[in-house]
Amino acid sequence: MNLKRQAQPRALISLVPMIDVMLILLVFFMVTSTYLNLDMIPALRPDTDSVATTVSAQPEGSIMIRIGADGHAVLRGRQLGADAVTDHLTTEIAREPLIQVLILPSGAAPMQALISVMDSAALAGVQRLRVLRLEASQ
Amino acid sequence: MKLSRPPRAAQSETIIALIDVVFFLLVFFMLIGRMDATAPFEVRPPMAQSGRDMPAGGVTLAVAADGSLALDGDEVSTQDLATALTSQLAQQPDLRLRINAHRATELRHVLPYVTQAEQLGVRDVVLVVTPERDE
Repeated sequence: MNLKRQAQPRALISLVPMIDVMLILLVFFMVTSTYLNLDMIPALRPDTDSVATTVSAQPEGSIMIRIGADGHAVLRGRQLGADAVTDHLTTEIAREPLIQVLILPSGAAPMQALISVMDSAALAGVQRLRVLRLEASQ
Repeated sequence: MKLSRPPRAAQSETIIALIDVVFFLLVFFMLIGRMDATAPFEVRPPMAQSGRDMPAGGVTLAVAADGSLALDGDEVSTQDLATALTSQLAQQPDLRLRINAHRATELRHVLPYVTQAEQLGVRDVVLVVTPERDE
């Protein structure tokens, strides 16, 4: 007697659902992701405070940069550009490395003006930076 | 006349290449994309060269050019901001607050929130900047 084993059908895994899922995931990540190159500048650190403190007594060895409502930085009565602020602060840092830089911005100045001055200070190597904010008296 | 249907070819091997490409694209977008909640208004952060890499985590306060606020993508009023930050702080004492203000926003719309966050007990506040010039 001749017993013939029945040929088993070959198991097939369909790739189509997997491709569907991958395409859906791909579209999801393409749509929901943002591709901005973002950095950060500390405004308050856990150990120190640097921004938006009220005016207090200025320690010795400090330099104040005012930012006008038009966004221009004024240092010792002179209106300076970002590069000039960096150069000036670099000179001051070379003379006194721990000099404190105080920034007093006008409330009407744009955000970019403050960031530019903070950027100039950071590029010049300033260690102690404070942004002052005048508050109306109660 | 009898037209015979041509025999269907078996699934081509080239579909493997397609899967490979889709998979690489998937991994690419997963790695380079950031999935932050976007603000309901336009925010172009100020430019700075000295910014450091921004770590993930924390909450993002977006400030529009006209002073409108959004906390993690949801518009919020000045009054509700303190409540929202207080509840976030209760869950996460070392909360990081990222202030993503439009570069043209007047500082009177930004700096008070730094002070307010400090008074509420937030000890880690950062300003979002971009190193790219896009003019």
